[in-house]
Amino acid sequence: MEKLPNQGTLWTWTVQRFMPKSPYNSGETQESFTPYGVGYVELPGGVRVEGRLTENDPKKLSIGMEMEVVFEPYRKDEDGTDVIGFSFRPVE
Amino acid sequence: MDVAIVGIGMHPFGRTPERSGLEQGAYAAREALKDAGVEWKDMEFAYGGSHSAGSADALVNELGLTGLPFTNVANGCATGGSSLMSAVQMIKSGAADIGMVAGFDKHARGAFNADPKGLGLGMWYGEMGMMMTTQFFAMKIQKYMHDYGITSTALARVSEKAFINGSLNPNAWRQTPIELEEIQNSLMVNDPLTKFMFCSPSEGGVALVVCRADHAERYCSRPVYISSGVLRSRRYGSFEVFAPSQALEHIDGPTVDASKAAFEQAGIGPEDVDVAQLQDTESGAEIMHMAENGFCEHGEQEQMLAEGATRINGRLPVNTDGGCLANGEPIGASGLRQIHENVVQLRGIAGSRQVPGEPKVGYTHVYGAPGISAVTILQR
Repeated sequence: MEKLPNQGTLWTWTVQRFMPKSPYNSGETQESFTPYGVGYVELPGGVRVEGRLTENDPKKLSIGMEMEVVFEPYRKDEDGTDVIGFSFRPVE
Repeated sequence: MDVAIVGIGMHPFGRTPERSGLEQGAYAAREALKDAGVEWKDMEFAYGGSHSAGSADALVNELGLTGLPFTNVANGCATGGSSLMSAVQMIKSGAADIGMVAGFDKHARGAFNADPKGLGLGMWYGEMGMMMTTQFFAMKIQKYMHDYGITSTALARVSEKAFINGSLNPNAWRQTPIELEEIQNSLMVNDPLTKFMFCSPSEGGVALVVCRADHAERYCSRPVYISSGVLRSRRYGSFEVFAPSQALEHIDGPTVDASKAAFEQAGIGPEDVDVAQLQDTESGAEIMHMAENGFCEHGEQEQMLAEGATRINGRLPVNTDGGCLANGEPIGASGLRQIHENVVQLRGIAGSRQVPGEPKVGYTHVYGAPGISAVTILQR
């Protein structure tokens, strides 16, 4: 088992502008859906990992920019427990 | 023993609420039989596929309970190609002289929702909204535009051409041309691809009658021969749809592999192809597939599209029937639609969308999850 680096560069990206059908399960409704970025981040010496991006403004996304992984609550389980997901955010 | 296509039939693509997918398949099958001047009872075997419209072999209920061996094929976007290759092997082996290949489908509206478990992936991948074919093609073309200088105008030109070709095809779903600006300015769906740069899941049916080449003239005055048919799956290192991660090293994808093998099998090269049907589930896909199939260098597409090189009167007509963009994608029928169009073009019966100069070689290509590609080369 080898630990992947936390930071890498954005290899490619898009913005998901419509709400996917099931199995998409974010707790959102058609009304509350917020478009989200998706991209592959190249982790040096490791692999490219696909993940959601915290940024959804295409003007603020560009190939080659520095990104870091973040772990945040994605949705709540039926019993109210946070389900944690990973995503990538631009390095400030 | 070579194999010939001697009968073709199609149910128009699009939305036909009054007919089930199976009925559309049966319609196409009857048309193909009529075209070859044969009857269903003459078929010694059949291969067929449908993704969302039931079992293809239920066609026997519509066409007749003759006892023939009917094998269902399920291979995603390569279902049609895989069915045809199975039929080719059946005839080449000497096990049968004549048979049918059929595909039909009927999908619900909206983008496909793939099941992660069905592809051996964790549910989280779908739950977090990453299991979308639309995203893959958007991200692949985004990277490609960055690397090879393809512009969004080129993306729109592909769609513009598709709808023009669709307007010349009475079987197409979308038969109204759309202005370049309207395509570019339509709703952004997955950056950089707008609404009119995507195909939609649709409905339709296609069937072919195939036989031993030395019997072809009994059934058809203008038979078309199958020079090659190749199916490939991805190798480690290629960038494919539904990949939660990918290797840093890069290797050619299944399209490149299938294309090279198909040309080798046929003993010809890309320069010999007169008409090509390339998977265009998005306009960006057609652009990338032009190069991956060997028809140009990476980046050359920008100039080719500006010059109209891939229009019906261009030097390499691509997706002459409007492709997936104008016909939608009924998974079970889509690959066979490409073959149907090439037979129409090689017979010289395409009417207002006929490629000039009596085309002799037709090329088809599909690509699908989880990283597969099928290519065929037909010659008259």
